[in-house]
Amino acid sequence: MRSRVWIAPMIGFIFALALVGGIAARAAAQDKDTLVIALDTLGAMVMDPIADTRAPHAHYHAPLWDSLVGFDFDKGGIGPGVAERWDRAPDGKSWTFYIRKGLKFHNGDPLTAHDVKFSLERTMSPESIASGAAALRRAIASIEVMDDHTVRVYTKGIIPHFAASLSRAVFMEGTVMPKKYIEAVGAKGFREKPIGSGPWKFVRLVPGDRIEFEAAGGTHWRGTPQFKKLHLLLVPEQSTRIAMVRTGEAGIASIGPEAIKEAQAGGMKVVSVPGTMQAVFQFWGTYRPEVKGTPLADVRVREALSLAVDRQQIIDHVMAKQARWPLPFTTYRYSIDLDLPRWEAWSKKALRYDPARAKQLLAEAGHPNGFKMVFWNTALPGTPFMVQIGEALAGFWEKIGVKVEMKTVEWGVFDPMSRGEQKGLVGTASMYRTAGRPEPSPRYQTTLTSTGVQHLLGEPKECPALCQEMDKVYESAVSENNDAKRAQAMNKMTELGVNSWMVIPVIEGMGYWAVNPKRVGQFKPIPGRHEFGDVTERMPRPEQKPWN
Amino acid sequence: MQRFILRRLLQSLVVLVVLALVVFALARVTGNPADLLLPEDATRDDREHLLKALGLDRPLHEQLGRFLKGAVTGDLGTSIRYRKPAVEVFFERLPNTLTLVPIALFGAVLVAIPLGLLAAVYRGTWIDRISGGIAVLGIATPSFWLGIVLIYIFSIQLGWLPSARMGGPAHYILPTITLSAFLVAGMMRLVRSSVLEVLDSEFVKLARIKGLSQTVVIWKHCLRNALIPVVTLFGVFFALLVTGAIVTETVFAWPGVGRLTYEAVIFRDYPLLQAVILMKAIIVLGVNLCVDILYAYLDPRVRYA
Repeated sequence: MRSRVWIAPMIGFIFALALVGGIAARAAAQDKDTLVIALDTLGAMVMDPIADTRAPHAHYHAPLWDSLVGFDFDKGGIGPGVAERWDRAPDGKSWTFYIRKGLKFHNGDPLTAHDVKFSLERTMSPESIASGAAALRRAIASIEVMDDHTVRVYTKGIIPHFAASLSRAVFMEGTVMPKKYIEAVGAKGFREKPIGSGPWKFVRLVPGDRIEFEAAGGTHWRGTPQFKKLHLLLVPEQSTRIAMVRTGEAGIASIGPEAIKEAQAGGMKVVSVPGTMQAVFQFWGTYRPEVKGTPLADVRVREALSLAVDRQQIIDHVMAKQARWPLPFTTYRYSIDLDLPRWEAWSKKALRYDPARAKQLLAEAGHPNGFKMVFWNTALPGTPFMVQIGEALAGFWEKIGVKVEMKTVEWGVFDPMSRGEQKGLVGTASMYRTAGRPEPSPRYQTTLTSTGVQHLLGEPKECPALCQEMDKVYESAVSENNDAKRAQAMNKMTELGVNSWMVIPVIEGMGYWAVNPKRVGQFKPIPGRHEFGDVTERMPRPEQKPWN
Repeated sequence: MQRFILRRLLQSLVVLVVLALVVFALARVTGNPADLLLPEDATRDDREHLLKALGLDRPLHEQLGRFLKGAVTGDLGTSIRYRKPAVEVFFERLPNTLTLVPIALFGAVLVAIPLGLLAAVYRGTWIDRISGGIAVLGIATPSFWLGIVLIYIFSIQLGWLPSARMGGPAHYILPTITLSAFLVAGMMRLVRSSVLEVLDSEFVKLARIKGLSQTVVIWKHCLRNALIPVVTLFGVFFALLVTGAIVTETVFAWPGVGRLTYEAVIFRDYPLLQAVILMKAIIVLGVNLCVDILYAYLDPRVRYA
C-alpha cells in the first residue's frame, strides 16, 4: 500500500513535466524564422576580431563583419570583398584596394577607407592576438588613405600574396571594423555591443551557450539572409548535436566523418565541404647526425611507407567516402600559382597503393625484414578523426613488416614537443594536418624551410643541400613579382617537397555538417572553408530550395 | 564555539593555499595555452608575441608571485581564452550550475528516500532486491551514456523533451535525471541501512508495544531518525554535484562551471583553471564548514574533539 502512495504522485509529476517539456520542445521546433546552428566550438566567444586566434571565430565573426578581401564562392580561394578589386604596384611593394561604395555599418556610419586603415592598424597593435597579427606586422610598412574609397598599403618588400592574406579564405586579418564607433565606445564597449557591416547584426552573447544575431535588413553584397534570426549554439557533444538536428531544435550541426552514417540514417542531409584540410604524416629531425643511418633518414624508406598506405580504403572506411584523394602537401584544387593538372597526375601515380614496391624499396634500403619505428598519433583541434587515420596507417605499415610503436597523445601535449629542440620527436614520425588555404607557401615556410617551426629538412646551423635548395626556392617563390616566374618557383618548391617524401599527404579532408531538410533549404558551402560564417546569409528556407 | 569556528577557518585557509600552489604547478605540466591558440603554421615570432601578450614569457616564480599577490586581493588573473577576469567568467557560469544542482538534489531525494525506506521495510523481499538493483545500476551507469540514452528516448523517439541546452522547465528534466542518478544509489543505500538500524532500536519497539500503527511507526518515528545521516551528508552531496557536473553539462550543452572546468583544462587556460578550482574549493570548504558548525552545535562533543 505504501509503495502506491509514493509512486502515484511521482508518476503524475513526471508526466506533468513531460507535458510541459513536450509543449516547449514543439514550440522551439516550430520557430521557422530562426536559423539555428549547433557547433562543437565557438572559440573564445569574444566579439572582437583581435581577441581570438583560431579558426572557430570564423563561425561567429563572419556573420557580423566583412573582410577586405572575400571569397571565390564557387571554387574556393579568394575573391572580391569589401574591396571590389585591388592592384599590385609594378614594383610589387604596394597594394591599392578599391572599396565598394555605399557600404554601411549597422549604426548607419558609412564604411570607408579610413575604417580599413584603422582595422589593419588595430589588428597589428600590441594588444592584438589575432592569428596572423605578427605576419601583418612583418608585412606592412605603412597604410595611406588615398580617398574615402581607396586605400594603399605599402609592404616591406615584395609580397605577391599579400591580398590573399586579407581574406577569410586564409586568415582573419582583413576584418573591417568601425573606426568611429570603436573610438567612441572603446574596446570594452565594442566587445559588449559590437557592430559591423556584415549581413547579420549582433543581438546578444550568452557565455558558454550561444551567440544570437538578427538579419541586418536590406540587401547585402554577400547575400541577404532568408531567416530573421541566426543562433549559433555551443554544443560540445556530437551525439547531442545530432539529436538536436533530428528533433529540429537545430537546423544544422557540425559533425565528424564517423557520424555521417548515423546522420543519414536519421533522415538528415550531410553537407561535405571539400578541401578544408589535408591529413599528413611526417618525419622529424631526420637530417640530424644522431639520426643518420637510421631507416627514416633514407628517402626510399619514407617513400615505401607512403606506398604501403591504401588511401582509398581510408577514404572509404575511416572517412565514410567523404574525403578526396590528396594532391601534394598543402596543395588543393583551388590552390594558386601551381600547375594543378601536373600535380593531380603526380598524386594519382605517386600516392598509389603498392605494397610490393614498398617491400622492394625497403629491401633496397637494407631493411628486407622491416624495422621498428615510433609513430606519434595525435589530432589537431577540430579534426579528431586524425587519430583513426593514424591507426589505419600503422596497420598498413605493419603489413610490410614495419613494427610500429604507436604513441597516442593529446594535441596539447604533442604540440609543445614540435617546437624548439623537438627532443622527443627527432627520428620519429607523426600525424599532422594542414588547413585548406589557397596559397601553399606559408605552410612550406613552417614545415620545410630551415627557419620554420618544424624545419623537417634542416635548421640554420645544420642545413643539408636539400634544405638549402628549399630555402632558396622558397625565397624566390614568396618574393617574385613576375607571375610566371613565381609560378615556376612554386612548382619547383612543390617538386622538392614531394621528392623529399618528408611530409606525405594521406587524404584531403572535408568539413562535415548534418542538416535537417525541414529546417534549412539546399545550399552550397565554400570550398576550403569549413566554417559557415560566410555561408549563413545564402542559406535558403526549405520551401525556397528543397533538398533533392 | 568561536574558537572552534576560528580553528576551522584557519584550516580551510591552509588548504586553500596548498591547493593554489598545487593547481598552479599542475596546470603548467601538460602544455602551454599559446600552442593551442596558435594556428599550425604560426611562426616563432607569432608564438613569442603571443606569449608576451599573455604574460607567459615571464619566469615561473614571477608568474607565481603575481598569481599569489592577485589571489590575496581576489584577482585570479585574466582568462587567456575569454579575455576577461577569470573570477568574472566563473561567476557568469555559476548560476547555471546552481539552478541545476538543487533540482537534481531534490530529485534524488524524491526517489532515494522512498526506495530506501521501502527496501528496509520490505527487507529481503523482491522490493528490496529491485531497490538494490537500481542502486547498482545507478552507480554502474556512466552519466555520459545515461544522458545520451535519455536524449534518444525522450527527445528523438518520443519527442517529449528538448535534447539539450538551458531553457524553460522542460530543459531541466533530462540533465537533472542524469545528474541525480548516481546520487540516488548512494542515498538510497544510506537510507536503507539507517532505517534498518532504527527499526531495530528500543524506541521503535516501544512505539509498537504502545500499539501505534505501522504507518505512524515508520513515518513518524523511524524515518525522521533515519534521515539524520542523510541530512548530514547533504552538504557533501551538494558539493559533489557542483564539482562533478562536468559530464552532464557537456552532454546537455549546459553552460555551467563543470563544463567551464573542462574547457579550462583542454585549452590550458591557466588563470581560469586556477580560478575555477579555487572557487570550487571555497564552495566545498564553505559547505563543509557549515556542516561542521551545525554538527558542533548539535553535538557539543565535536567542539572539544
